[in-house]
Amino acid sequence: MRKFISIFTISFQQEFAYKINFIMWRVRNMFQIILTYFLWNSVFADTNTEVFGYNREKILTYVFGIIIIRALVFSARSVDIPGEIADGKLSNYLIRPINYFKYWLTRDLSSKALNLAFSISEFIILAIILKPPLFFQSNLLYILLFLIILLLANYLIFVIRMIVSFVTFWMPELAWGAQFIFMMIITEFLSGAVFPLDIFPDTWQKTINLTPFPYLVFFPLQVYLGQITIVESMQGIMVALFWSLILSIIMKKIWLSGLKIYSSEGR
Amino acid sequence: MNYAIVVDRLIKDFEVVERESGLKGAVTSIFKPKKKKVRAVRSISFSLQEGELVGFIGPNGAGKTTTLKTLSGLLYPTSGFVSVLNYNPWDKSHDFLKKIAAVFGQKNQMWWDLPAIDTFELNKEIYELKTREYEKNLEELVALLDVGKLLKTSVRKLSLGQRMKMELIAALIHKPKVLFLDEPTIGLDLVAQQVLRDFIYEYNKINKATILLTSHNMNDLVDLARRVIVIDEGEIIFDGALEKLVSDYAKEKIIKVTLASDDNIKKLEEVGKIKKMAFPEVILSVPRATAAIAASEILQNFPVTDLNIEETPIEDVIRKVFRRNK
Repeated sequence: MRKFISIFTISFQQEFAYKINFIMWRVRNMFQIILTYFLWNSVFADTNTEVFGYNREKILTYVFGIIIIRALVFSARSVDIPGEIADGKLSNYLIRPINYFKYWLTRDLSSKALNLAFSISEFIILAIILKPPLFFQSNLLYILLFLIILLLANYLIFVIRMIVSFVTFWMPELAWGAQFIFMMIITEFLSGAVFPLDIFPDTWQKTINLTPFPYLVFFPLQVYLGQITIVESMQGIMVALFWSLILSIIMKKIWLSGLKIYSSEGR
Repeated sequence: MNYAIVVDRLIKDFEVVERESGLKGAVTSIFKPKKKKVRAVRSISFSLQEGELVGFIGPNGAGKTTTLKTLSGLLYPTSGFVSVLNYNPWDKSHDFLKKIAAVFGQKNQMWWDLPAIDTFELNKEIYELKTREYEKNLEELVALLDVGKLLKTSVRKLSLGQRMKMELIAALIHKPKVLFLDEPTIGLDLVAQQVLRDFIYEYNKINKATILLTSHNMNDLVDLARRVIVIDEGEIIFDGALEKLVSDYAKEKIIKVTLASDDNIKKLEEVGKIKKMAFPEVILSVPRATAAIAASEILQNFPVTDLNIEETPIEDVIRKVFRRNK
């Protein structure tokens, strides 16, 4: 355990070494939120409008919720993994008595903690400036389910990112490309981090719901907003659990066969 | 005697994608990658006893680093048997990893933006060292390498040599029993090289650690390794004492003479092969067996002020070894 506390601390310190980078990254996030906010704000200009089952209050809470959930779910240090596999830096971990997955989970956790702290203050600042009508969930059961799915979401994205990163073992030149296309475009889009997935046609939605992606952002917010019933929430949690399990097994398998062809180049 | 390292008929193949040069080559390689199997290590066998310090030499691409990486568990052997301290390195058991260390060039495990001491403290936790043990080891290593003043400087601000010393401390803080060093003195100035060599020598002696090191720097080997393993094109072509390598391959000795005058200087050609003539100094090479006779002949017939008989420089010997193998 002390191992991981140390990793958490040193990783946290490291993030601070690039203060300007970090602040720019947060600023970018804020702009994204402001843009989405004004978009939906104009769609719901008439306070009685209801689109895709959202009223003005709920859609703006969704947009504000993205600030926090994004910081929590999408922040990660493990984005460095493909580069490290390609340039051989991975060797440094393999020759030391440390569990690679726990190591990166810990580093991600430290990145999430830092980003979460910042996102909360951004949330407050934006809330003061924009004065959106926010929806507060009062049903404790929904809140509990929300916390459970949030935990699962963080694990799911970790596993997905690992699997995508491990492609580098076979195609080192894809190190960055695969990560970018998959994580930045597909995952962000299908997770609901850009807009609620309700705007897709019904059959699309049903298909997307079978993939792990909506459980990253869209589903947690749905649960928080109480847009779906308790039973539906439980069902969703089961799907997310199922994916966590399957993807964990796949991740382990790919890792082990990747290591066999790993040539530790450049060292 | 206990063997710390055993390698038996180790073979390692790599798959490489070949690509024609230019844009056309780049495009075709996407659709039809030409894969080629390259055998980096061709059935090598050797063993090291506990506490031995062995130099591993060979030209670039000979398979030295591949062998070291297989021994530290980074590479999966294509076939053959490898054992380090009775562990199979590939299993990467934590008990095994706590007893070894590997330093490959200068690419680092140091946390670039943080002071070196932070990396050491992290390693303390990773290797689960007791605080007393850690402090003792750290103090010892810092004193040996004389970097006490630099511990709190962020790593990116250190010079290459200073960083290399920090790498060594980070790698050795857990007092490994087996150490793999790949080119530990590469890129360092002469003073730093010597410090590092002395350090490796001391570490081996004090801790009875088994050390396998590769180097292109012959001074490393002369100073450190009694035994050398020479590898070329994936095969071991010599394994034994450094002196034996010299006597096996260097059929000649070198005589350095300083003369008082250049009378008859041309006549020296009759004694041996002249390698360099820069009056007053002349360097000749003569057959090993007759070196003593040649020397006395020179002393009798020439106005000698100084004379030395030396072994062929190790660089020349090694060059010869590799050339003969071609």
